Amino acid sequence: MNKTIKTIWIILVILTIFAYLLGYLKLINSSLVAILLISTFIKGELVIDYFMGLKTVKLKYRLIPIIWLGTVLSLIAVAYYLPVATVQ
Amino acid sequence: MPNIKNIKESYPPGDFAIWIIIYVELVTFGLLFLGYAFSRRSNIEMFNDSQLLLNQTSGFVNTLILITSSYFVVRAVQAIAEMREENVEASNHRASKWLLYAIFCGMAFLVIKFSEFYYIFGEGITLSTNKFFMFYLMLTMFHFMHVMLGSVILFNIYKKTKTVGYTPNDYRGFETGAAYWHMVDLLWIVLFPLVYIIR
Repeated sequence: MNKTIKTIWIILVILTIFAYLLGYLKLINSSLVAILLISTFIKGELVIDYFMGLKTVKLKYRLIPIIWLGTVLSLIAVAYYLPVATVQ
Repeated sequence: MPNIKNIKESYPPGDFAIWIIIYVELVTFGLLFLGYAFSRRSNIEMFNDSQLLLNQTSGFVNTLILITSSYFVVRAVQAIAEMREENVEASNHRASKWLLYAIFCGMAFLVIKFSEFYYIFGEGITLSTNKFFMFYLMLTMFHFMHVMLGSVILFNIYKKTKTVGYTPNDYRGFETGAAYWHMVDLLWIVLFPLVYIIR
């Protein structure tokens, strides 16, 4: 159990470093935003399952934060990728 | 024969009321995140220029701090959950050690965030400067207050572990505080890339 939690923490740290480097090295572009949002979903999912302890709980309680996370990140992607209408 | 691994708990850890609060908080912050994302569309250039005034490194360090503090809280919960009648004192002591690390992380987060606010306000930036800073200040200050409250909750749990206040039959309050702290972490995990990185 301790080993699993430590592994989760290491994955979270690696994904955070990845996100920071994208910003710090000014590598962020439209295709990398999608990858960044997916990596954010993975981080959130790991926190929900292993830190909040919802992996071992009935699915309905686990699904609420997962659906929240998926919906929020998907709509952020929509806001980012949807073409902006320009006034002529 | 049923597979023991697949037997799920009926309720999430901690008091059920905290989960209602957590779900409400998630929706509230979710709406603010979406408000930011869709408002950005109306003036992308201004949002990108304003974002350059933020310190990405302090946002990154704060993310690491919160993730690590959550890890410490999980270890504290484990110490309490594995407690038996014969090692109550040792388990409380072990949990208090992990909690203390988590509280230090919470304090470090607050100090770094406070220094960021100090710099931003020093530049003459307020809620009414522009839409980017309105959202930035609202989101981060609201989150800051949650970290403060979470730290107070962890400190109270810590005090109870010091008096060996948790037993194998009574540690629900411990799990309740831990669940709140993980929510604070989860919110920052979305906030950091949205406000500091995406442009």
